[in-house]
Amino acid sequence: MVNVLTTAVNAVMISALYALVAIGFTLIFGVGGVLNLAHGATLTIGAFTAYYATAALGLGIWTGTLAALVVAGLFSAVLYLGMIRWVQDEPIMVMILTLVTSIAVEQVFVVVFGTQPKAIPSLLPGQLSAAGITVQTNQALTFALSWLLIGALIVAVNYTQTGKAILATSMSAKGAALVGIESDRMYLYTWLLAGALAGVAGVFLGSFRTASYTMGRGPLVLSFSIVVLGGIGSIRGSVLGAYLIGFLEVFVVSYVDSSLSGLASLVVLVVVLLVKPEGLFGRELAEA
Amino acid sequence: MAAGIDRRRFLRFAGAGVAGTSVAGCMGGSQSSSSKKLQGGPLKIGVLAPEPGNNPIGASIANSAKLAAKQLNDDGGVLGANVEVSVKDTKEDPATGKRKYQELTVGEQVDLTTGVFTSEVQMNLMSSIAQQQTLHMSTGAATPEATRKVAQNYDRFKYYFRVGPVNSHYLGQNMVDFAKANFESMGWKSVAILAEDYKWTEPISKALTGSLSQAGIDVPINKRYAGGTQNFSPIYDQVANAGVDAAYVVMAHTGTSAVVQWHKQKRPFEFGGIHVPMQLPSYYKAVNGACRYAVTQNSATPTSKITKKTVPYANAYQKANGKYPVYTGYITFDAVKMYAEAVKQAKSKEAGKVIPKLENMSYTGTTTSSLEYYGKDHEYPHDVKYGKKYAWPVWLQWRETGGSGSQEVIWPENLASTKYQAPPWIN
Repeated sequence: MVNVLTTAVNAVMISALYALVAIGFTLIFGVGGVLNLAHGATLTIGAFTAYYATAALGLGIWTGTLAALVVAGLFSAVLYLGMIRWVQDEPIMVMILTLVTSIAVEQVFVVVFGTQPKAIPSLLPGQLSAAGITVQTNQALTFALSWLLIGALIVAVNYTQTGKAILATSMSAKGAALVGIESDRMYLYTWLLAGALAGVAGVFLGSFRTASYTMGRGPLVLSFSIVVLGGIGSIRGSVLGAYLIGFLEVFVVSYVDSSLSGLASLVVLVVVLLVKPEGLFGRELAEA
Repeated sequence: MAAGIDRRRFLRFAGAGVAGTSVAGCMGGSQSSSSKKLQGGPLKIGVLAPEPGNNPIGASIANSAKLAAKQLNDDGGVLGANVEVSVKDTKEDPATGKRKYQELTVGEQVDLTTGVFTSEVQMNLMSSIAQQQTLHMSTGAATPEATRKVAQNYDRFKYYFRVGPVNSHYLGQNMVDFAKANFESMGWKSVAILAEDYKWTEPISKALTGSLSQAGIDVPINKRYAGGTQNFSPIYDQVANAGVDAAYVVMAHTGTSAVVQWHKQKRPFEFGGIHVPMQLPSYYKAVNGACRYAVTQNSATPTSKITKKTVPYANAYQKANGKYPVYTGYITFDAVKMYAEAVKQAKSKEAGKVIPKLENMSYTGTTTSSLEYYGKDHEYPHDVKYGKKYAWPVWLQWRETGGSGSQEVIWPENLASTKYQAPPWIN
């Protein structure tokens, strides 16, 4: 039997990564009210940007991460400007378009990089040991960075002018428009921000496991479970949801059966939708 | 079809009849000259490969069939007939594989099909192979279920041959043989078996269960993990907690994530077994050296002189494609060349005449000097024979030489270029 503390540390580390993945997804839904099924693809773009920067261009992984942040953010912004902006009031169209985009991105990576997974260097090599528990420095960095970004996001949304405008738009686009806020610009910022977060998450995910053209699928499904569990549109709900799902996954693999790892989060998704569809924190910022 | 004659066979016989009559009319009934030439146009070979444009396993299948065809054509063809290759992408999907198989056999009327990587795709083709009665020489899928079908109904499934790799049962047997011969010197007294949950690994798990313990090796963990597993940390925690010397793995689809995480996390156990991605000669660069010190079984390596054909083939492939092939390439090359030899001996490309030639042939290929098939009464008829005299896989360790990785053979001894070395982080 594996030491419970070791399992818990593992769960905390992976949950921090899941939180980073899910926040962008919840941000777009919370503010724009649209489901971005290309979120997983944005993550893949981030991972492969870092891979290309390090393996083909010979740049350092930190530069690669910065490139991933910029490229994924730009991709997300272009996706909004070129496609979603025109159909954002039609949820089915948005879902179809983002899904098709997601598949197209995967196919581009198959053509360019092939089907074999690629390794991305760790941002910080080595390991940390304390109280008999050993974790990768890279994982510890993800944990720290995840909380840093979550904190920065909360501060930005609540205390900056643009953040407040985004918050206002998420509450009521009409009300925001009445006080002179351009909702389209706020949506663009949100997509840009969500894309950048997904890009960074992609680099970390790739550096833990490897980058492959299908790597965005799992996180997209996880994002659904996390966001529904936490409450659609709620940032703190997504963070809590990410930790609950992360713990569930790691403990199921460690103490029940490794073949149930993907199933556990889906069962949670179905149960929450049936029993408490508003999730743990409901939707905080619903339009009146 | 109740009458047992499908449209394709009808057309073939009708076509052969018409052609035969015409030739007889023109040539005045001369038999001697026509018997040396192959009737019915070029020798068409249909290749089924996963993502041949960018998957090394699929590319090796497709490019090796083309290389073999080119060499045959440069040498005057097969009984004067040109060899033509048509490649189709299975996308590792059983339904797509079946559709592409129909395109090759019904649409393009090929004389032979070869390739196929995943067992799931191969098994979905078995009934079509029986129906089309077109020879199929399998070069990637390892499930013994395919040749078990030949055993159950020889007349129906006799068109199926597996040129390689050895079937999963023998892959497992080879893991046991390797363990018995090497574990003591490697210091692997106890191992955790980790097998991805796919069809091809089932017979290997079965072959390993009990056999290692009987050989005096402690096996506290024998786990089949989910095929979609990406996060190996919880599994590795269990392996580390069991205090074993090594993870003895059976991996193809999930192998890269597994070896990268093992290396990055500097896990306190060694790593080896059947790891399909690690068989790829260019793998070291793709994973930034994460495969260093890991061990895998393979059919051949570019520098291992298994037969006089191994190195020349690998070099010819490298010259033509700019990189070395993976195991499916060696086997496909042998499949096409062996088929050509059988056609020459049969003086015909009709499956009914070629099959007995293949059944009785001992062929020197790139991976074995005696490529032979089990007979009709064996448990696995038409499966490539396993053993020291026949197909006998090599075991290699990834090492770093001059800043880049190299696949160094550690077993069998006559091909070994180095001795096994434990990773530096293992005490």
